[in-house]
Amino acid sequence: MKKLLFTILVVSLASLVCVVGCSRKTPASDADSPVKYKIGMSQCNLGEPWRVQMNADVKNAAEEYSEIEVIFKDAQNDTLKQRSHMEEFISAGVDIIIISPKESVPLVPIISQAYKNGIPVIILDRKIIGDDYTCFIGADNIEIGKAAGKWIAANLQGKGKVIELKGLMTTIAGQDRNSGFRQGIKDSDIEIIFEADMKWLEPNARKEMESALSRFEKIDLVYAHNDPGAHGAYLAAKAAGREKEIKFVGIDGLPQEGQIYVKQGVLAATFEYPTGGREAIEAALKLLAGQEVPKKITLPSKIYTPENIDQGGQHLK
Amino acid sequence: MTGNDLKSFTDKNQWLLSPTARALGALIIVFAMGLIFNADGAFLKWGTHRDMLRAVSVYGILACGMTIVIITGGIDLSVGSILALSAVSFSLMAIHFAMNPILAIIICLLIGTACGCSSGLLIGKYSVQPFIATLAMMVFGRGLAKWVSGGQKISTAVQQADGTYQYVEVPKVFDFVNSKVFADNITVVTLILIVCLVISWVLLTKLRQGRYIYAIGGNEEAARLSGVPVLSSKILTYGLSGLFCGIAGICQACQELQGDPEAGVAYELSAIAMVVIGGTSLKGGRGGIWLTLIGILTIGYLEKILSINAVGEDKRLMLTGAIIIAAVLLQKTRK
Repeated sequence: MKKLLFTILVVSLASLVCVVGCSRKTPASDADSPVKYKIGMSQCNLGEPWRVQMNADVKNAAEEYSEIEVIFKDAQNDTLKQRSHMEEFISAGVDIIIISPKESVPLVPIISQAYKNGIPVIILDRKIIGDDYTCFIGADNIEIGKAAGKWIAANLQGKGKVIELKGLMTTIAGQDRNSGFRQGIKDSDIEIIFEADMKWLEPNARKEMESALSRFEKIDLVYAHNDPGAHGAYLAAKAAGREKEIKFVGIDGLPQEGQIYVKQGVLAATFEYPTGGREAIEAALKLLAGQEVPKKITLPSKIYTPENIDQGGQHLK
Repeated sequence: MTGNDLKSFTDKNQWLLSPTARALGALIIVFAMGLIFNADGAFLKWGTHRDMLRAVSVYGILACGMTIVIITGGIDLSVGSILALSAVSFSLMAIHFAMNPILAIIICLLIGTACGCSSGLLIGKYSVQPFIATLAMMVFGRGLAKWVSGGQKISTAVQQADGTYQYVEVPKVFDFVNSKVFADNITVVTLILIVCLVISWVLLTKLRQGRYIYAIGGNEEAARLSGVPVLSSKILTYGLSGLFCGIAGICQACQELQGDPEAGVAYELSAIAMVVIGGTSLKGGRGGIWLTLIGILTIGYLEKILSINAVGEDKRLMLTGAIIIAAVLLQKTRK
C-alpha cells in the first residue's frame, strides 16, 4: 500500500511539473530576447468573464510590442493575495504595475509604497482612495446606466412597464448601474414593476424572471445589469412563449456574449463596459518612453443594437 | 396547550411524530405562506409551481446523491464543482465538437462517476475523512473545469482562428432538456429529477446494497464485523453522487445554453440544506429519499414565494436561515 501511495504521489507531482512546464512556453528568458521592460499585471478575479476579457485585451495589445513582457497574476477575489502580488512585483523590480484592484481601500498602502518607490502604477476599472498612483483608467457605470435609461425611455416612447434585474446591490457596479438608470428614466413615465437581485448570475436571473412572468400579464422591457442576466431573462420568457412581446437590454457588450446576443436578436441593445486593457498598455508604453499620461482616463462606452452591430457599434455621446 | 396536553395529544396521534409528518410540517407552513402572500394570485397558477420545480431540479438531483452519502455518515462537498466540470465538458463536446449527444452524455456521466469514485476510494481505502477528501475534490474539480474551458464560458459563440466569434446553432439535445412536456405542464429537467429520486429510492429500500449503506451509517465497525463490504459500498455511494452530479451538470448546461466553469458554486450547501430539512440525520444511518423530496419542495417553495413577492436579498437570506432553523427544530421535538 505504501508503494501505491508513493506511485500516486510521484505521478501527481510529475503531472504538476508537466502542467506548469507546458504553461511556460514563451521563450522570454532567452539571452537574445528583445524584452527590455517587464510589466506586472494583477487581476482581482479571473472568475468573471469580463475580467478574463480584460486580461486578453492586455495580452493582445502587449503582443504587438516585442520590447515588453507582461507577467499576469490572479488574486482569485482575495484582497490579501492581491497585496502579495504587489509585494512580489516590487521585489522583482518590474518597470510598471497594472492593477485592477478588488477593493478601493485596503490596497492603498501597498500601491502607495510601489508608487513612492518610483514604479508607475496604472489602476484599471476600480478607483482607489487617495492620489498615490500614476494613472486611473476606467469607464463610468453611472453614465452607462443613464445612457441605458435614456435609450430605454426613447425606445418605449417614454412609457412602459419595465423589470430591473440588478447585479448585486452591495457592489459599486450594481449601485451605479441602478442609480444611473433611475436618473436616465426620471423624466419619463417608465414604471419599474418588479426588481430583484440576480447576483450577476444567469440561473438566478432566469428564476427571478419566471416569477415576474407569472405575476405580470404585461411586461414591455427587461433591463439587466449584465448581459448574462438579460439572457437568463430571455430564456425564461422564451420558455413561457412571451419572448416576442418583451425587449431585453443588458450591459457589458463582450464580443462572445452581449454582442453575439444582439446578433442573434436576443437583446434589443447592450451597452459596452470597456475593459481598458489595450489603453493600459498604451499608457504603459508612453510612460516607458518618458511621456506624460493624464491622471484619469475615462473610457468611452458603446451601444450595440441589431442595426449597428455589423458596423461595430456606436459610441455614446 | 400545556406540555401535558401536547403529550397526550401526540400519544393519541403517533403518526404526528413520524419523521415524514415532521418534515411535512415545515413544507405546509411554507406552502401556507405562499397562499397568504400569493403576489396578486401568481402563486395560485400552475405555471408558478412548474417553474419552481424547474428551478429546484438541479439542486434536487444533487440532493439525491447527497442523501445517500449522508446516510453513510459522510458528506460530499464536491457536488458543485463536479457539476461545473460536467457542464463545461458537455458543452464543449456537444456545441464545439458537435459530437453525438448520446456519446457526450455518456462521457460526462463517466467523468462525474470517476470523480465520485476517486473520493470514495480515498475515504474507504485510505480512511481520509469525507469532509477532507471531498473538499480536495471540490477544489481540484473546480480547477479542472476552468482548465478544460480555458476559464471562459463554453457557449454557442465559438472563437475562430482570427480571434473573432462565430455563432453556431444550439444542439437539439439542449432544446430537448430545456423543454416542457405533457402539454407544457412539466419540464424535462423535473422528470430527470423524478428518475433520480426513483433510482435512489430503489437503491436505498429495495436492494441489499441499500441495507449496507444504512448499516455503515449506523455503526461502521459493526457493519464491517458483520461482513458488510464497506470499501465497495463507499465507492458506490460516492460514485453514485458523482453520477448525479454529472446528470445535474448536463441539465445545468442545457438550461443555460452554455457550460459555465463558475456554475454550481455553493450548490453543495443548498443540497445539504434540502437533505437536513427533510430530516435525514447528518450522523448517518437514518433518513430517506422521500424526506429529501420534502426538503427539496420546502426550499423550492420558500425561494419561489420570496421571488414572486420581490423580497429584497437581505430579507431573503434572513428568512431562509430562519426557516432552516424552524424546520430542524420541528425535527427535534420529542414526546
